[in-house]
Amino acid sequence: MRIFVVGYGVVARSFIDLLEAQQSVLYQQQGLSPRLVGVCDSTGAAVSERGLSADELRAAKESTGTVAGVAGHGVRTVDAAQLIAECDADIVVEASPSQMSTPGRSIENLKAAFRTGKHAISVNKAPLAAAMPAMLELAEFNGVQFRFSGTVGGGTPVLNVARECARGDEVTMVRGIFNGTTNFILWKMHSEGLDFDTVLKEAIDLGYAETDPSADIDGVDAATKVVILANYVLGRPATIGDVKVEGIRGLPRERIEEAAQRGNHLKLIGEIGEALSVAPQEVPIGDPLDVPASLNAITLSLKASSDITLIGRGAGGIETATSVMRDLLDIWNVIGGRS
Amino acid sequence: MKFGGSSVADAEKIRRCADVVRAQQEKHQVVTVVSAMGGVTDLLLELAEAAGSGNRSVKYTLLAEIRRRHEEAAAELGVMEKVEPLLANLETLVAGIVAVGELTPRSRDAVVSHGEQLSAILTAAALDGRAMTGQEVGIVTNDQHGEAEPLMNLSLYQIHENLEPLMANGERIVVTGFLGATQHGVISTIGRGGSDYTATLLGAALKADEIWICSDVDGLMTADPRNVPGAQLLDQITFAESIEMGQFGAKSMHPRALEPSAEHKIPVRVRSSFNTDCPGTLITETAPTTATMRSVLLLKNVALINVAGAAMVGRPGTAAKVFAALAEAEVNVQMISQTVSEAGISLVVAESQLPRARAVLEGQLLRTNAAKRVEVDEHVAVVAAVGSGMRGSVGVAARIFGALSDASINIEAIAQGSSELSVCLVVKGDDGPGAVRAIHDAFGLGGA
Ligand SMILES: NC(=O)c1ccc[n+]([C@@H]2O[C@H](COP(=O)([O-])OP(=O)(O)OC[C@H]3O[C@@H](n4cnc5c(N)ncnc54)[C@H](OP(=O)(O)O)[C@@H]3O)[C@@H](O)[C@H]2O)c1
Repeated sequence: MRIFVVGYGVVARSFIDLLEAQQSVLYQQQGLSPRLVGVCDSTGAAVSERGLSADELRAAKESTGTVAGVAGHGVRTVDAAQLIAECDADIVVEASPSQMSTPGRSIENLKAAFRTGKHAISVNKAPLAAAMPAMLELAEFNGVQFRFSGTVGGGTPVLNVARECARGDEVTMVRGIFNGTTNFILWKMHSEGLDFDTVLKEAIDLGYAETDPSADIDGVDAATKVVILANYVLGRPATIGDVKVEGIRGLPRERIEEAAQRGNHLKLIGEIGEALSVAPQEVPIGDPLDVPASLNAITLSLKASSDITLIGRGAGGIETATSVMRDLLDIWNVIGGRS
Repeated sequence: MKFGGSSVADAEKIRRCADVVRAQQEKHQVVTVVSAMGGVTDLLLELAEAAGSGNRSVKYTLLAEIRRRHEEAAAELGVMEKVEPLLANLETLVAGIVAVGELTPRSRDAVVSHGEQLSAILTAAALDGRAMTGQEVGIVTNDQHGEAEPLMNLSLYQIHENLEPLMANGERIVVTGFLGATQHGVISTIGRGGSDYTATLLGAALKADEIWICSDVDGLMTADPRNVPGAQLLDQITFAESIEMGQFGAKSMHPRALEPSAEHKIPVRVRSSFNTDCPGTLITETAPTTATMRSVLLLKNVALINVAGAAMVGRPGTAAKVFAALAEAEVNVQMISQTVSEAGISLVVAESQLPRARAVLEGQLLRTNAAKRVEVDEHVAVVAAVGSGMRGSVGVAARIFGALSDASINIEAIAQGSSELSVCLVVKGDDGPGAVRAIHDAFGLGGA
């Protein structure tokens, strides 16, 4: 199985390491021998029929600043879509930045993969937020597989568990905490009585939040996950424009204190009910969704059965890489696996 | 706003369309969709066929005619330099088809697409706007050339992405109707519903307030005014009613073209291009029901086939055999009906398909004794009364029968429409127009 990876950041590197580390297990247990035939970053690419190793990629990136520095295999191009269309891969992994306001680039990457009959795995949330129904449609039209389990919950298999719950029952409502950064901020504000700006600064210093934390604190990242769940678990063709979003930017401490007086914690809750929404909501202390620090949680309400809650870390490069690996194995099994 | 072929048939009319659009642009944001100049699509199809069979002479006369019409308009509108390359391209394409001696669905689409591409350039010139092809706005289809199906979600997303910024910039956009492209960039045509379909697709993608389908009719009527002098314009009807009327050949929109607007609940207004004082007919999700019935339509040139015989009684599966036989012969059954007189299955098919239908039914059913007789009434008409108000309203049938019996018209069969929105009657062909008038009068559709 030939793999092309778009992006060479934390997730991509972790995945590539994992591929190498698991090489013999994958072969023995699944009959799968993956080969990395291309990787690109923001300025260039490395492409090789025989396969690229984690070491040579890392060395090239360190010494030249781009994977295009791999001797004899470098391509100085930034046109990832063209590379994807022309390469000989079976699967494309989209692990470049989730640029929410300019999703076009990553959408073109996925289109190029589907059009040329390649399966795709995306950890990039932008194409899903903007055009998930379109991407699902195009993959199906071309008879290829499309997976994205790393986009919700990082390494916690939220999407698969949620879908499993929906089998033979009906999911009537989904509520959850889909963004670790904002949960961390709200939790700190409550537990240490600090105000928003102080905690945000701390979160950035700790590396929990990006230097531009807008997508997190304005609720866009959580809204993206609402979109993905709505499409994947409930089969509702939604995009980010369908979600009513309210973030927590500049949230006054009083709101948290008032909530506490009522015996509640304030949480940024994504909700899929009648409508799709993201907004700060009060959750009773001790509720399954009342999770501390940067944890994520999701509660699925089922028609016949009772509520099910899943709690886990919502991000992390290595964790997310494991979800890419699961997607890869899923696709491998769907397309026939060991044959 | 979408303009049909007759509305953009020459430079003068194109200018008038541009005036109409400009007037609306004072108050609204408008995207314009155009069909090919009236008659040009047929010429292009003929040209493609002729080229495919290697007929050089027809090729030259047809090409010359196409060239003349567009050059005349281009000269008047001052866009010769944009029209010439397209005409030259068409010529090369046709020469290629002649050389290969074979017309593929794909090359036929390529030839036909020139009609809309040219009219869009001409209209854009008159409007001082930007012409865009279906491909450029983002309509992606499957590769079923000639009858291509848009990938709906992808097309809606891309249209929105491509057009919103241009519109925000105040650009006047003119889009080719009828055209899309496959995901590999090969031009395709979307077949049934054509340019109207493009318009509703664009309207749905842009979440338009209204989609206007402008042509040479004032709107949808209670009946064909050539037959019923008192026929009235319909103010407002529902998507379901309009789709039903389309099934019975009303000069309205193709049902397929209404799908995107019905699904996204975007009102469609069918109106005249130039008679701008007339608001036309508004098609919406729900419409105030003031009348039981909206419209009475006439389907001519159809034939009634009655498959009858004792062997059918208590023999399950005969109906299935009838339909299987017809499907095999590619006969399109327009209606299934129950005869008033006798047990059996009655079917309405187009007169042109009758010989085929008859042959296959006789061959497969009589021979095996599955039925005793296949009787045919060649010259009948179907009268369809459409309106959601008829649903659950008692006495409609009685009033219809009363009206026809007063007019001494004999009903041969009562047919079931595809939904509860219509009642269909089969009458003798010559009685068709009279039956329409009688029902139209009986339900007071001609107004007070
Ligand atoms: N990290 C997580 O915990 C996590 C969890 C779930 C989902 N995700 C998603 O996974 C994706 C990758 O995350 P990450 O943490 O690995 O990000 P990252 O460390 O910032 O890496 C991004 C990589 O993408 C490359 N890149 C930037 N622009 C590109 C372009 N136009 N074409 C090709 N490559 C380009 C960058 O190139 P340079 O090296 O040249 O800068 C870099 O190698 C993101 O979409 C993120 O939202 C991450």
